[in-house]
Amino acid sequence: MSELVRLTDVSKVYQGGLAGALDGVSVTVEKGEFAAIMGPSGSGKSTMLNLVAGLDRPTSGTVTVGGTDLGSLGEAGLAKFRRDHVGFVFQFFYLLPNLTALENILIPAQLRGTDAKGRARELMHRLGIGEVAEKYPARLSGGQQQRVAVARALINAPTLFLADEPTGALDTRAGEQVMELLGQLHRDGQTIVLVTHDAKLATRHAARVISVLDGRIVDDARLESTDLAASDVIRVRGEEASR
Amino acid sequence: MSLKFGVLGLLKGEPLHGYEVKNRFEAMLGGTWEVNIGQIYTTLQRLERDGLVRPAGARGDRGKQLYELSPDGQKALDHWLGEPDSGPQQLHEDIYVKLLLAARVANGDLHALLGRQKRAYLQRLRDLNRLEERARRDGRIDLARLVRGALLHTEADIKWIDELSSERFGVGEARPE
Repeated sequence: MSELVRLTDVSKVYQGGLAGALDGVSVTVEKGEFAAIMGPSGSGKSTMLNLVAGLDRPTSGTVTVGGTDLGSLGEAGLAKFRRDHVGFVFQFFYLLPNLTALENILIPAQLRGTDAKGRARELMHRLGIGEVAEKYPARLSGGQQQRVAVARALINAPTLFLADEPTGALDTRAGEQVMELLGQLHRDGQTIVLVTHDAKLATRHAARVISVLDGRIVDDARLESTDLAASDVIRVRGEEASR
Repeated sequence: MSLKFGVLGLLKGEPLHGYEVKNRFEAMLGGTWEVNIGQIYTTLQRLERDGLVRPAGARGDRGKQLYELSPDGQKALDHWLGEPDSGPQQLHEDIYVKLLLAARVANGDLHALLGRQKRAYLQRLRDLNRLEERARRDGRIDLARLVRGALLHTEADIKWIDELSSERFGVGEARPE
């Protein structure tokens, strides 16, 4: 695997508060990895993701993605970087209400000037939302809206797929379907960075869990992915034979 | 948890002999509780002594004895099923005592201890996630529910470690006594 993302001594200071600030964060993400950034709200985990996406700039330090120092790009360069290299899904979908599902998915491709209708239909089919192409977001369930958002994030075949609490607004079942989808994307080779406060979700598909607390990385765990016997994972404890 | 009532529950469906009870018990628990055959025989003998099970028919092949649930056994089983689990919270793991000791031994610097423990819990969570997925794939919804319980418990353990690690609630403000 080769390095895709590098944060070097990155700090972010927000005026008027510590929430979301970062304090000297250094970390790398390899191509093909599924990494989870985990921490409580206000810990700085979303800030990290926004910096990697080029949605925000650090106060100090450098962010490099695919060899490009994002600090060297102007606003137009950053917009082009996001369009060509980053797919981003958020907790609240952010679909445009006056466009159909298909039209929403096509926006990033249109910004690039490519005709991606075929790819969009194929993605929709793959994500199980082929039926809703002509529907408007208000007619879709939360799970369907998030899958439309995933398709929109994938339309330009991004190098990097970023997800910020993608199941936060979904019920358990729809949330699991979306996570299953991310797991499948990763198995197909997609590099994914997931931000979540939920340790269950973080460890479901990600073999790497980066813990963030108070703006610092406090742990970077690479987890084993072996299938253990049930008795090595859970032990139901019994009383000794009854009296 | 009680082996005794597990055995009674299995005998509700049909008469079984010792080995069948052992095999079915372990299969029901999906391998999360292994019992030896000696424990099963001892349990069956005690249940017979207390009138909760009784021999069904004569000894068969190689002296195998089938047991069935008695009416008293049925009553005891119903009573047990109807009782909620109560009593003190069980904390079995060493981390609780380590935490109390470390506050004294390590001058209140618990970060290393908490970090190692969190990593172990994260690994457990990943193992449980994989086990749950496998149980669902194998159609073992009952086992998947058990694993789900373990997952949520481990998630709570992680929240506790995080709280201890944070500056607001935990070791950031801890002072050695």
